[in-house]
Amino acid sequence: MRSAIPNPAPANTTRVPDSTDASHSTGASSSPVIVARAVARRFGDKVAVAGIDLAAGPGITGLLGPNGSGKSTFLRCLYGLVRPDAGEIVVAGAKLVGDGVAIRRRAAYAPGEIALYGELPAREHLEWLLRGRGHGALERALALAARLELPMDKRVRSFSHGMKRQLLVCAALAPEVPVRILDEPTEGLDPTKRGQVLEMLFEDASRGTTILLSSHHLGEVDRACARLVFVQAGRILADETTQAVKSRAARVVRLSFVAGADDARLERAMLDLGGATIAWQRRDGELRASVRVAEEPRDWLARFLSLPGLPAPQAIEHGKLSLAELYRELYGVEGC
Amino acid sequence: MLREHRFALWGALAWFFVLEALLVGAILFWPSFEDNIDALRDMAPMESLKGMIDQLEAGGIVAYVNGQHFFKGCNSVGALAAVVFAMGVVAGEAQRGTLEILLARPMSRRRVLSERWIVGALAVALPVYASTHTIPWLLGFIDEDMAHWPLFLSATHQSLFLLALYSATFALSCASSRPMAIGFGMLLFFLAEFSIYLVQTLTHWSVFRLTDIDAFARIMAQHALDPWITLGLVATTAACFELSQHLYARRTP
Repeated sequence: MRSAIPNPAPANTTRVPDSTDASHSTGASSSPVIVARAVARRFGDKVAVAGIDLAAGPGITGLLGPNGSGKSTFLRCLYGLVRPDAGEIVVAGAKLVGDGVAIRRRAAYAPGEIALYGELPAREHLEWLLRGRGHGALERALALAARLELPMDKRVRSFSHGMKRQLLVCAALAPEVPVRILDEPTEGLDPTKRGQVLEMLFEDASRGTTILLSSHHLGEVDRACARLVFVQAGRILADETTQAVKSRAARVVRLSFVAGADDARLERAMLDLGGATIAWQRRDGELRASVRVAEEPRDWLARFLSLPGLPAPQAIEHGKLSLAELYRELYGVEGC
Repeated sequence: MLREHRFALWGALAWFFVLEALLVGAILFWPSFEDNIDALRDMAPMESLKGMIDQLEAGGIVAYVNGQHFFKGCNSVGALAAVVFAMGVVAGEAQRGTLEILLARPMSRRRVLSERWIVGALAVALPVYASTHTIPWLLGFIDEDMAHWPLFLSATHQSLFLLALYSATFALSCASSRPMAIGFGMLLFFLAEFSIYLVQTLTHWSVFRLTDIDAFARIMAQHALDPWITLGLVATTAACFELSQHLYARRTP
């Protein structure tokens, strides 16, 4: 049994302010730096982006979605790397016209797919990536690389996947531009480096930079982003502040029972206590229930556990959700 | 120095040294060639080759230099160099997946492609001029001489021909993601064209007619470029360049 989906933004209905609108969906008082209106792009029969409206910035906005959801294509559209079939894009006051060079001069980009010139030493590669970014950019990139302890004299071909990712992040964070578009900037990084990169993003955003980043790992971006935009099948599924998402995720309680437990009886009991059962799953010899509750989960659990005649749960969790669980339990759809 | 500039520089140096090595060998061989020209004619397996040797005999050192340096050296190695410099420009980037980081830099597509075209074009053309410039000096070793100006014109004519081939390959690179396929395709094209050149009834269909011994003999004799051929080569190059821009813009974004 599934409850109604709580507060998802219907596809294509995210409110996009016009230039005179002082507030937008994040609640921030400044004008959005990135504005996309009805952006659509298809590749042959496959619809990659199905009409996305988005207004973002300043600050860090996370674009979340499973693989193939259209995040990367949308980011490429924003940066002028992929021409949208329809829609309008304005980044830092520059409209996407022609080949998008006006946007690329006002923004920096880190690609999601890593393909670098392996034969170049890392320092030289940074120089190549930052061509046209002004004299100070290379020095800033080298300083960032030093923080990440990247061996800049070594050839890129000797770098691990994570080190290459860090090199791209350094190149994207170095230019003095108002907008950065980062496609999965923490993908492939170990937890320490991931933390360092997120710290760099914080610092950059604190200087007023608008950062739009994508990820399919909720745990990574909820630390960095003030706002989360959930994408599925090329559409925006929901657009919420991170705090709101966390708050709602905290209201989801997961209970595991032995496989033979009476799920109908358990469900009746949960509903009687004011819980809305979202999903039942039988997996690994267990019966799992995800329940969204209106009150403090501990209180609800205390009342549930005190009910007589019900099987005792083998495990109880609440407040932590993977992206797939978030999609399933908050938005009622399969995301990953 | 950027990687593409370094590739062009080393490539151009290699192309120059190969050309120069061929030239040195050819010029130092001239006295022996002149002495044995009748025997060489008898050994030639095809009428077209015998005809070439007749041309060399009639034209003397000038025709010999034209044949050895421009027709043989520049056409064969130069065509190969033109293909090597152009085939990977976009197709190579697409194949290795680096097209995205190339496009992500804050420069217009046209500028990116134009810069690459210019760097490759210089790498193709400058060695022709440089090696041609050494001809009078090398001829001094065998007590022969040639004027600089007609050699400069011939180098210009040869460079325009190679630039047309380079630009055609460049356009193919902008439409493809398989540089080796382009390279082999162009190689087959050159082989076919050269085969046609050697067949007397078909020779006028070969592009190498534009840069054979006759063509350079006319330039040397008239001390001027043929305006129609020059215009045709420039127009071909310009058309291929614009086609490249169009193809590049279509694939990215």
